[in-house]
Amino acid sequence: MIEVVDLAKRFPMKGERGKFVEAVREVTFTAPDGAITGLLGPNGAGKTTTLRMIATLVEPTRGTARVDGLDGHLKPNEVRSRMGVLSDARGLYGRLTARENIAYYGALRGLPSAQVQAMIGRLAEWLDMGPMLDRRTDGFSQGERMKVAIARALVHDPPNVILDEPTNGLDVMTTRKLREVVRRLREGGKCVLFSSHIMQEVSALCDSIVIVARGRVVASGTAAELLASSGRDNLEDAFVHLSGETEAA
Amino acid sequence: MRAAITVFLKEITDALRDRRTALMVLIASILTGPITLVLVAQFVSGLEEKASILKVRISGQEHAPALVNFLQRNDVEIEPAPKDYETLVREGRLDAVIVVPPDFDSRWLTGDGAKVEIFYDDSRTDAGPAIRQAERLLRAFNRETGMLRLVARGVSPDLVEPVKVDHVNTATPRQKGAFLLFLIPMFAILSPLLGGMTLAIDSTAGERERGSLEPLLANPVPIGQLVVGKWLAAWIFASVVAVLTLGGFVIAASLYAGKRLAALMAFGAPEFAAFVAVVVPFAAMTSALQMLICTYGRSYREAQTYVSYLATVVSFVPVIVLFTGMKDSLWQLAVPVLAQQVVLGRVIRGDTIAPVDWLMPSLMAFVLAAVFVALVARLLRDERIVFGRA
Repeated sequence: MIEVVDLAKRFPMKGERGKFVEAVREVTFTAPDGAITGLLGPNGAGKTTTLRMIATLVEPTRGTARVDGLDGHLKPNEVRSRMGVLSDARGLYGRLTARENIAYYGALRGLPSAQVQAMIGRLAEWLDMGPMLDRRTDGFSQGERMKVAIARALVHDPPNVILDEPTNGLDVMTTRKLREVVRRLREGGKCVLFSSHIMQEVSALCDSIVIVARGRVVASGTAAELLASSGRDNLEDAFVHLSGETEAA
Repeated sequence: MRAAITVFLKEITDALRDRRTALMVLIASILTGPITLVLVAQFVSGLEEKASILKVRISGQEHAPALVNFLQRNDVEIEPAPKDYETLVREGRLDAVIVVPPDFDSRWLTGDGAKVEIFYDDSRTDAGPAIRQAERLLRAFNRETGMLRLVARGVSPDLVEPVKVDHVNTATPRQKGAFLLFLIPMFAILSPLLGGMTLAIDSTAGERERGSLEPLLANPVPIGQLVVGKWLAAWIFASVVAVLTLGGFVIAASLYAGKRLAALMAFGAPEFAAFVAVVVPFAAMTSALQMLICTYGRSYREAQTYVSYLATVVSFVPVIVLFTGMKDSLWQLAVPVLAQQVVLGRVIRGDTIAPVDWLMPSLMAFVLAAVFVALVARLLRDERIVFGRA
């Protein structure tokens, strides 16, 4: 379970002393186990920074992010071991094979090699990546790279999974495969936190949606609840309406 | 330590798979020694050849029968200078020419300040022996003539030469060779920089540019362990390249065994062992420093630029030592690069090496390596370095 309370982050502005960029102003939400929570927002809304703070990669300026009750600020390594992160940057080592890329992270997490290989087998089946496992990744297509990056993030079978815009640049087939994997994770009782700027993506997949705009949570709930609260009859209008409100404010 | 070993093994595998770079570095390092020594040997033997055959070029020898007579008595081969000797000297095709003016003989006979010119270009170092030889022969001719004239007037020649100077050169052939072989210490110092470079860049700036740094840092592994693993890999590569480079010198030097140059090229197993003992700790420091400056690099290319600046700075140190004629003293042992240069210079001159000569530079190198590794780890904890500079 991921609980985020009043999270905020500001960065010093490049080239200008004493000025700051408020990347995240006030984000509060809870992503329960056995459910898919969608973080929806336009580009630059602060989704990636929020996810980085949850993943303990960035120190919050204010507020706390707790994973399974553990404060990431106080116990970063415990939090990291309970979490699988597909981050914004998802580069692979081109001279290593897909299997080696995934196994590297398994070994870094101290898992026995047999367990890692078994997990790679399972993930390869889920993601349909059997034939490419023992090829070097430098010739991979974007979809193939994404599959490896996802497998790498899940190699330790983490109870919490963060996926930062996982469908960016993917074709329909790969996107479908990915949705399947995300649903499987939910069935396995995991807490899945999924960010996207694409409405359909989130409404098709998520149990509850948190809409973020300009660093703030502007609405949250199920798709039906969001429709009701915005008074619109489709989610896209609701999204535009809800995130537009802050722009006026 | 487990995670550090995992990182270390991954970095080594990754670097070895970069076949083209690895091969280039290996071939370059193995060939450095032989190529350098062959060139040096050519140069040295050229010098010796020039000095050993007594030969002068004279323009206008017909004006100086007495000089010609003196030279012939001393087994000097006289060659008339070609007409266009001035141009030839300027172009570097002739080393030195003794020019005798037409009025030489008449002035010489009357004892009226006879003059000759030596025509040369001393900006060319390889002309040096020929110039000195011409000077020496003319001086000897002067002395002989002067003495004969004094004796003819009943004066003892000892009056004009109250002190007799005999040359006793204490430089052993090996020490003469060390002047030229300051190159081996220089290559020994530069080789770990070459060897550790690719890995240092790839595992820091390259990791960020590739977008694999962020996911790597999301693992529950202390950053210190990640950095130590990367540094160990860079250190091993740097050391291997250094050992190969020095091995190349050993092989090349052994090719000259038994020849006249063998004495100059004394670089055998004991020297090799001493060099390795000095260079491997040094490599620990250079690879850590390379990683540190590469972590600052915004991109792979920028890191490459920084690393080549570092190599330039380091390669200046031997040159400074050579040109300032710095005397050995203890403080130098505490200054990285300079210390290695000084100690390796001693090894190659065949001087004795005290334990402190090895201990002090190596200790310094390891302390600095630890500091640099700690600084890299600190930089990687900085959000601005990890995210803000892509």
